[in-house]
Amino acid sequence: MTTQRFEAMGRGPARVSRELAWWLRIRAIARRHAYVLYRSPHRLFDVTVWPIVDTVLFGSLGVFFARQGGPSSAAQASVAYLLSGIVLWHVVYQAQIAVSTGFMEETWSRNLLSLMVTPLRELELVAGIALFGLAKLVMGVGVVAVAAFALYAFDVTDLGIGLVPVIAILLMGGWAIALLVIGLMLRFGNGAEALAWGIMFVAMPLGGVFYPVEALPPFLQPISALLPTTHAFAAGRELIDGGPMPWGELGLAAVGTLVATAAALAFVAWMLRLFRRRGYVTRYS
Amino acid sequence: MSDVLRARGLLKTYRRGRAVDGVDLTVRRGERVALLGPNGAGKTTTLLMCLGVVEPDGGTVEIAGHRLPRGRSAAMTHVGFAAGYLPLPERLRVGEYLRMFGQLYGLADPEAQALRGLERFGIPHLVKASGTELSSGQKTLVGIVKSTMHDPDLLVLDEPTASLDPDVALRVRTGLAALCEERGTALLVTSHNMVEVGRIAERVVFLSAGRVVADGPPDEVAAGFGRDDLEEVFLHLAFERQASEHAEGLRP
Repeated sequence: MTTQRFEAMGRGPARVSRELAWWLRIRAIARRHAYVLYRSPHRLFDVTVWPIVDTVLFGSLGVFFARQGGPSSAAQASVAYLLSGIVLWHVVYQAQIAVSTGFMEETWSRNLLSLMVTPLRELELVAGIALFGLAKLVMGVGVVAVAAFALYAFDVTDLGIGLVPVIAILLMGGWAIALLVIGLMLRFGNGAEALAWGIMFVAMPLGGVFYPVEALPPFLQPISALLPTTHAFAAGRELIDGGPMPWGELGLAAVGTLVATAAALAFVAWMLRLFRRRGYVTRYS
Repeated sequence: MSDVLRARGLLKTYRRGRAVDGVDLTVRRGERVALLGPNGAGKTTTLLMCLGVVEPDGGTVEIAGHRLPRGRSAAMTHVGFAAGYLPLPERLRVGEYLRMFGQLYGLADPEAQALRGLERFGIPHLVKASGTELSSGQKTLVGIVKSTMHDPDLLVLDEPTASLDPDVALRVRTGLAALCEERGTALLVTSHNMVEVGRIAERVVFLSAGRVVADGPPDEVAAGFGRDDLEEVFLHLAFERQASEHAEGLRP
């Protein structure tokens, strides 16, 4: 490991190079959150029990309606729509919850002030939490995918290579929602915690997880069409139907997600400025 | 002696009124300074502004040549901070906690530095203990180890020995004195314990109603107020403040 002596004083303990320091800080945060999960096994609920419950709920709903509709291909497709929807929904859900609750952990443990008085940058804190969140996401989505295969013989990899951009877009979408939640927590304190879960219950029906925009009541359709997840899930359904790579929907989803992420970053930066200006850190110390 | 902290004209107003009103604060390399004042005098707000955690409405802060807020990350490699009221995260062992902060400070070998720090304060046996197993005194000591393991140029301690047993407080003072002596670390400390301040600090800065009302060696500051010691100065300022608040309350 490249090291350098303390520049200002020319003494003190050996330090890593500036080029490595940011990565070391991100890794330190990710490791800290790995310890939190390791020492609080009940937090595995989000990545084990909840995904199985969702799979059973939506899988069984699909099977029931498919039986009502007889052996038609449309009825069978509805099972696949529901199961692919729930597998892909967990990409958004796990990405969002992992980052939001990771930030909350720092407030619950009153560690925020200590972190703010280190060289750690705000973006590095979020990146560290998101890095460990990826491990949780793999666990959570893996559980849904395996449960869907084991219980309903649905193989999400049947979506093919198109699954990769859809997952990437939904992952970014989940992080954008998490940034929004963090911004609200910076502004309103722990009272905004409920939003971490509540916002997902709003996003799920509007985000086109299981059905196209046209299935919604007319007054909700314009809102749904604006959400990037709607187009990502639509792309997923086109892949289920065996169609070609849905570039149109993927393009809309990608652009929408980039715009949403940029807006979420701007919002959280604004809230952070307010947080520093109004001295809200004392809420957590 | 060069300045490790230079704050000029700090201003901060909250909804309830002005908390800090034009504070200038300089700490030189290796100097031991106490920031004192009754409750509500503006000590913590001043400290938090000096650390870049709270943004001042006016004024400037520079740490080891890095201007805040732009140079905050670089400045913080020169700073250690501990507060008696900050807990240890419960789901980390002491060694893991110190390793994490060592990495945040960019140390190449955080484990070795952590062990060195734990030995300096006489608690190497706590390395595998979890936060929930520690007494409040031990938590304070671990917090101070955390803030000193990267040999900072400036160590900021907010009420470091509040609620500590005299023997632990002595261990803290001894460890800090050794650190300052060996490394030339500057110390900026707040405390309500004037006896302790007299033992630690070579310069005291008294705040009252958000303003600096005295700055100098403890004996000179006490003499300047016509008092025998810092405790009496503190009580004088506290009563003065209470009287002023009472008068404001009576104003129609």
